[in-house]
Amino acid sequence: MQLGYELIREQLFFRKELIERLPWLIRLRWIAAGAGLAGFSAVYFFRQTLLPLPLALIIFIVLLYNLLFKFIWQYVPPFKYQKDLTLTDSHVFNIRDVQSFSLFAHVQISADLLALFLAIYYSGGIYSPLSHFFIFHIILTGILLPPVSCYLYGILVFLVMGGLILLQQWSLIPIYPVWFQNGLFSNESGPNEIIIRYFTLVTVILVTSFLVTTIKLSLRTKGRELLRLSKALDESNTKLTALYEMVREMGLCSESKALMDSATRQAARIMGVKACSIKLMDEQKRTLRFASTYGLSEDYTKSKDSIDIQKSPINRKIIEGSVCAIGNIEERDYFQYPEDIRKEGIASMICLPLRVDKMVLGVFCVYSDAAHFFTESNVQFFALMSDLTAREIEKLNTQLNRNWFLQKSAHQLRSPMHTVISMLKVLKNGYLGPMNVRQEETIERCKKRIEMLDRLISDLLRLSISRANLSLDALRPVHAQRILKSLSGLFEAQAREKSVEIAFLIDESLPAIPATEKLLDDLFSNLISNAIKYTQPGGRVTVNLARSEEDKIRLEVTDTGIGIPDEASSHLFAEFFRAENAKSYTEAGTGLGLVIVKEILDQLKGTISVRSRIGEGSTFTCHFPIR
Amino acid sequence: MEGVKDILIIDDDKDLVQSIRIILERRNYGVRVAYNGKQGYDKIEAKPPDLVILDVMMATDTEGFDLAYKLKQIPEYRNIPIVMATSFPQAMAEQGPEKFQHILGESWPVSHFIEKPIDPEELLSVIEKILTESKKE
Repeated sequence: MQLGYELIREQLFFRKELIERLPWLIRLRWIAAGAGLAGFSAVYFFRQTLLPLPLALIIFIVLLYNLLFKFIWQYVPPFKYQKDLTLTDSHVFNIRDVQSFSLFAHVQISADLLALFLAIYYSGGIYSPLSHFFIFHIILTGILLPPVSCYLYGILVFLVMGGLILLQQWSLIPIYPVWFQNGLFSNESGPNEIIIRYFTLVTVILVTSFLVTTIKLSLRTKGRELLRLSKALDESNTKLTALYEMVREMGLCSESKALMDSATRQAARIMGVKACSIKLMDEQKRTLRFASTYGLSEDYTKSKDSIDIQKSPINRKIIEGSVCAIGNIEERDYFQYPEDIRKEGIASMICLPLRVDKMVLGVFCVYSDAAHFFTESNVQFFALMSDLTAREIEKLNTQLNRNWFLQKSAHQLRSPMHTVISMLKVLKNGYLGPMNVRQEETIERCKKRIEMLDRLISDLLRLSISRANLSLDALRPVHAQRILKSLSGLFEAQAREKSVEIAFLIDESLPAIPATEKLLDDLFSNLISNAIKYTQPGGRVTVNLARSEEDKIRLEVTDTGIGIPDEASSHLFAEFFRAENAKSYTEAGTGLGLVIVKEILDQLKGTISVRSRIGEGSTFTCHFPIR
Repeated sequence: MEGVKDILIIDDDKDLVQSIRIILERRNYGVRVAYNGKQGYDKIEAKPPDLVILDVMMATDTEGFDLAYKLKQIPEYRNIPIVMATSFPQAMAEQGPEKFQHILGESWPVSHFIEKPIDPEELLSVIEKILTESKKE
């Protein structure tokens, strides 16, 4: 069955063919008239015979009406618009337009037939050598117009030529001599020869009509096939693009629920169905539970919330790897409780295992309200979709598990340290009785070392997450000036505590940069706390955030601190590296701060450079791209 | 009655519980302890304390929150102030509060957060402030 859209598309396609060939008809006529004139000139040149007046007149008339057709084609609507119409402009399609184009073709062909007929009449009737030219018209008609028109024109030639012969035989109209009579031709032969000539002509014409229309019909069939194929290609292209979008969207999700919601929504949309669901298996592989649904009612999902796999043969088979495609749920007893499904308006469905290699995660289903909605290619496409979805789910789970493990390890490492620090504080603050100065100093040193260990764990955790590419947050536009301003209070307090002067110069009008708040926070904090840490009391730290000349955003952190020795500058961004002067200046420092800074800048596609002079201070300059 | 204020510490780290107990007893607070959420709830049921110091991650990652949330659902215990002692605020800053929304529901069930390692003076000032405020009400 053809849909309206397909019919219109097909008609548009054939209309385009017609439109392309109409001017061709006009051009051919110029050539035909030109050839006529050339022929007669040649005859005049070789035989000194003038063109008979009626024939000359006919050529003149043909030239004249061709001029008229040319004018109509170029200046009269709807023909004058034909150049702007293309296949994709389905909105301008109008059935009457096609009729005008066919009518125009009919008018031209009829005019030509009439002209040719008159030319034949005035050049010897059935004996005229021009009578063969009918073939051209029949071929043109066959190409331009529907087959029936071609046959009708063939019959018309048959009738008109027959009529002419009869009228001439009954002497009702004069017989004109065959042109260049003294040559090969003569019309002085008997009726038998007339009949033979007539029927030969008519047979040639009708056989030509048959051949032309047959060829044309087979071409049309091929054209239709091509159209169908191009439509199928378009469709699969659209589907694949949508699938790509779906996978991309899933890849951006940082939570399983969001990922699966995106999968069900997109799958329903791409498959063109009312609903979709993902059921996941529990760890014991005993029950299936809805993890995400799209287009299903709450009643339905609640009624089937927990499915015991052993009691559900269909689900058991799916988990074992079968495809379950039900064309019509009414046809067989597929379900124990078909009423729920019927009430939900589901008539057909496909369910597939969500599988990564041999591991089955759950069941992925699409539901349609039409029976027998899914074709075999639908099922194959959905299988592809469910494979990709399973992989995305598994990928995210692995990331989340690794993240969880890292966070948990860090927590487990820190908990006892926090307790030790708390206990040391209790001890040092005299809650367990007074202590002498040396005891107090020792406890303070213990506390400091453990606090260092705590920072080291934080930094290691941060680095592991960024190294393993586990950071799940996608970059989005963030205003760096806002983050820096929110940090300024904290660092002003830190600097004050150490009697270091600090100044923030922030351009408020900066555009947003692609980042996350967390990354910028870490980056700024590391650089500013380093500057304060390595600046002696009475020194000065300046933080400047502005737009650079290269249309980037530039952060400059300048201090009047201890500076970086030349030999250290090439190792600054290496793990656990601390310059000698830094180590002797303070113990606090993990040697990971600048590594983290560098990793963050890599993620943000930014750059960092350092200028420093020992004993005078350092300047760290970062550049961030705006796009 | 302007008696001794009763504070319940719920944490699975016995050493930490001991440290907090020392700090609080120095200020003459009455201290009871529990080492998990269930024990804590039983002690609250036995006698509602004036304040609870609660750890977040005990046997499960959210045991503390689960208990806090449960207390807020029960009218008799709804008004007991809760100080949450945790390294959780950092985790929260790193992951964003929306990740915990499903645990927390509509509102935070907690009066105050105090970051571990616990600073004795900070803990005392927080407790004093909360208890003065609840007395005014």
